[in-house]
Amino acid sequence: MDIFTVLARWLLGATFLYLGLNKALHPVDFLKLVQQYDLTQNAPLLNSIAAGLPWFEVFCGLLLLAGVAVRGTSLTLTVMLVPFTLLVLHRALLLQAALNIPFCAVKFDCGCGTGEEFICRKLLENFLLILLSVWLLVGRGRQLSLRFSLIKSPSH
Amino acid sequence: MEVLLVAIAGIAFAFAANQISPRGLALTRNYFPAKNSHTTALTTNATPAALSPAQFLAAQIKENGLQSVDGDQAVKLFHDPRFKQNGIVFIDARDESHYQEGHIPGACEFDPYHPDKYLAAILPICRAVEQIVIYCNGGDCDDSETAAILLRNAGIANQKLFIYGGGIMEWTNNSLPVETGARNSKSLHGTNK
Repeated sequence: MDIFTVLARWLLGATFLYLGLNKALHPVDFLKLVQQYDLTQNAPLLNSIAAGLPWFEVFCGLLLLAGVAVRGTSLTLTVMLVPFTLLVLHRALLLQAALNIPFCAVKFDCGCGTGEEFICRKLLENFLLILLSVWLLVGRGRQLSLRFSLIKSPSH
Repeated sequence: MEVLLVAIAGIAFAFAANQISPRGLALTRNYFPAKNSHTTALTTNATPAALSPAQFLAAQIKENGLQSVDGDQAVKLFHDPRFKQNGIVFIDARDESHYQEGHIPGACEFDPYHPDKYLAAILPICRAVEQIVIYCNGGDCDDSETAAILLRNAGIANQKLFIYGGGIMEWTNNSLPVETGARNSKSLHGTNK
C-alpha cells in the first residue's frame, strides 16, 4: 500500500477543505481581499469569483479526502495554484516597492484563508501544495479511494 | 475529460452552496459603491508612498462628494446637546460582532454589506436627525463611506452625512467611552468622558 501517497491526498484534501471553509464562512471578508487585487471592476464577476472560489476549494478538498476523481482534482488544483501564486507574488512585489522593505518582510493577507502571513512563508506553502498536487497526478495511492478515476479505462 | 467533469461539477456545487448559505453573496450587488473611476485615478496618479491610508481615504471621501469630520469634531458632536436630544446620530458601519465588542455609545449598527438587515430600522432614524456621523475601523477602512453612499442612495440628504475617518481605533486610542453589546445598553468602558 502506497501509504505516503494516500496521506498526501488526505493532507491536500484537508488543507483545501479547511482553507475553503475559512473563506466560505466569511464571504464578505474574502470579497474585500479579492477586490484589492484589482482583477476586475465588473461587480457580478468579482462577486462570482469571491462567492464561487471558496466553495470550489471545499468541493475539491472533499473529492480528495474521499478519493474521487483524484487525478482530475489534483490537476484542477495545480492549474488554480500556479496563477494564484503568481498573483500573490505580484502583489507582494508591489507592496515591497511601496514600503521599501526587504521582500521577505512583506506581510499581508493574500486571501488564501490563513490570514496575514509573511510572503516568503506563503510562497513556500503554495510551492509545497503545488508539489503535492503534482505528485498525486502520477496516479499512485489508489487505496482507500471511493472512485479514484471517474472514467474507467477500457479493459483489454 | 475528468478535469472538465470536476470543473463543471465544482462550479455547480460552488454556486449552489453560495445560494443556500445564509452568508452567501448577492452576485449582482455592487458591494463597493465608494470605489469608482475617480478613485481608480487616485490610485494610478499618486504613488502609494505619497499618500498615507488616511490621506487616501480623505481624498476618496471628497471624490465621492461626502464630508468628513476629524477626531476633535467627532468628540464635539458626541458632547453636543443635540446628540442627547436625538438630533445627531452616530452610525457604526462594521459587522455585528465588531459592533457588539465595542462601539461609540448610542451608535446605531449598520453593516453596509447586509443592508437589507438594517435599512428598515436605520432610515427613519436618519431622516429624523440633523447630522449623521458614520465610522468604521479607521485607517484605510472605507466601509463607512460605503454605508454613507447606501444611505444617500436611499434618499438621505448628502449634507447630513459625515465620515469620521479616524474610526473606532482613534476613538479608543483616545480613551473615549465605548459601549459594548446592544445600542444604549449602558455597558460603558473607557475613562475619558
